[in-house]
Amino acid sequence: MSIGENNLQGLNGGQRLAVKYFVVALALFGAQLLFGLLAGLQYLKPDLLYGVLDFSVNRMVHINAMVVWMLYGFIGSVYWLLEDESGTNVVGLKLGNLAFWVLTAAVGVVVLVYLFVQIGPGTDTTLWLINEGREYIEAPRWADIGIVACVLIFFFNVAATFMKGRWSGIAGVLVLDLVALAGLYLAGMFYTTNVSVDQYWWWWVIHLWVEATWEVLVGCIMAWGLIQTLGAKRRIVQTWLYIEVALMFGSGILGLGHHYFWIGTPEYWLTIGGFFSALEPVPLVAMVVHAVYDAGSHGFRSSNHPALAWLIAHAFGNFFGAGVWGFMHTLPQINLYTHGTQWSASHGHLAFFGAYATINIAVFYIAVQGARGGVWMSAHLPGNGWKWKWALALLNVGVVGMTVALLIAGYEQSFVERAIEGSTWAGYFAGQNHPWFLQAMHWRMIFGWVTLLGFALLVWDLFTIGAGETREARDVHPGEAATA
Amino acid sequence: MIDPVDLNDFFVGFFASAMVVVAGALYAGTFAWSRLRALPRLMPWAYVAYAVLFVSLLVLSSALNLSGYWRVLLVLLLLGYLLAPHAIWHLCRGTHGEQTPGEG
Repeated sequence: MSIGENNLQGLNGGQRLAVKYFVVALALFGAQLLFGLLAGLQYLKPDLLYGVLDFSVNRMVHINAMVVWMLYGFIGSVYWLLEDESGTNVVGLKLGNLAFWVLTAAVGVVVLVYLFVQIGPGTDTTLWLINEGREYIEAPRWADIGIVACVLIFFFNVAATFMKGRWSGIAGVLVLDLVALAGLYLAGMFYTTNVSVDQYWWWWVIHLWVEATWEVLVGCIMAWGLIQTLGAKRRIVQTWLYIEVALMFGSGILGLGHHYFWIGTPEYWLTIGGFFSALEPVPLVAMVVHAVYDAGSHGFRSSNHPALAWLIAHAFGNFFGAGVWGFMHTLPQINLYTHGTQWSASHGHLAFFGAYATINIAVFYIAVQGARGGVWMSAHLPGNGWKWKWALALLNVGVVGMTVALLIAGYEQSFVERAIEGSTWAGYFAGQNHPWFLQAMHWRMIFGWVTLLGFALLVWDLFTIGAGETREARDVHPGEAATA
Repeated sequence: MIDPVDLNDFFVGFFASAMVVVAGALYAGTFAWSRLRALPRLMPWAYVAYAVLFVSLLVLSSALNLSGYWRVLLVLLLLGYLLAPHAIWHLCRGTHGEQTPGEG
């Protein structure tokens, strides 16, 4: 394969499939930002597109696009590393390709239905065909079944490939995690007539997916990424993976209790949720220390500077978004006022970006390097690598700016609407019309545009970085066979 | 049973909880960097960060009315944050046993 030229045929089968996932993930990332900007504009001009594209629909597509692009990024990342990690070809590659096209077509149909059927009666038929009605997992039942089928195919491909090839610590954790990833989704696919019980199961999908299975999945990708970019020793990253997984599950599973504070569950959840939520920052602190240790012990010499920068952004973003912003409002004594305000949105923006968008972008850069034949992507890139550096800066500044703006709005909402006005209808409007809230929404919009600019630069960079480069990638595994 | 935060302690509660995690990370990071780069002059700053964490936790405890069995959480956090960087450092040393800092 020629260095510096796009040559997908030079990639292995799993990697070619991964590229398809990455392209759709990027498109959905763009869609997430556009629908988010529209929803943000509707805070400033509430009559904008009223009756044409309502806020509720914009917000739904904004969040669903985020969930799906991150899943596409994760699935693509696993397919990217699968053949290298297992030492054999992907078992059921054709099935994997079929699942990709089916899933992508289903996502397209679901979004079109969201946009064209925005209002109407809620019946069993609409539940199956249009919208299941549960916040964040609105996909209709037929799509739910399709998603589970596609994830099971993905699980089969990953497990069977490792069984045919070789196992590693990363492989073992990954396969076990995929069982939970597919299994937990089932908790959001049935209804009960008691809303407390219904919410109880719904949080299994929302919390346990994100704060347990997704965190472990990105832990596996991070471990593999450190081996790829820094040449970190497999034994070291795998040991850390086990430690972090143990800490994550130890705190994250019962940390679920912070969602059970106010849904009608027994009072003991206040204590369980409070205690275990307070422990949730521990694995994130450990990750920061380990990332600093690993990067420092390798003198920041990497084979892929943009990917390493995004991996470090992941360690810090995960810590601040999930750790700091989470702990600030997780104890029930304060959560009583903050639950479901813009405070949650502030935490959500920084945590999802910091924990998941960053690591997907890191793998995009690793994939681009591979697709260009293992091209040089370390120091002294043309233009001093201004595009990736500015994309990194603008995306991070944009998201942090939105986070701080939403934090101010959330603080004001918690204080005025909840604490002073006692969550009354009048209190809701007092909170929404307060100057702090309105100004915060303007600032959120400004930083939303900064984020979009960063995204545009990121896409430009991903399609151009390494083009025409003649140097081969820095070897970070001198004299070491790539074995498990 | 919980005793919700008072209106007057609203900001203090948020700020103190944020400071707990930030000071905790600063303590852990400074501690690790001091050991990693063999810079003992940084170590006192690590413990200054822990002192900030200590005070923040006491303020948080007061603002959020953490009384009764919630005091156990306070003690766990104080001890956990103090000992965790030591434990993490030993784990780093153990797992990186064959490497020395600066080795690629």
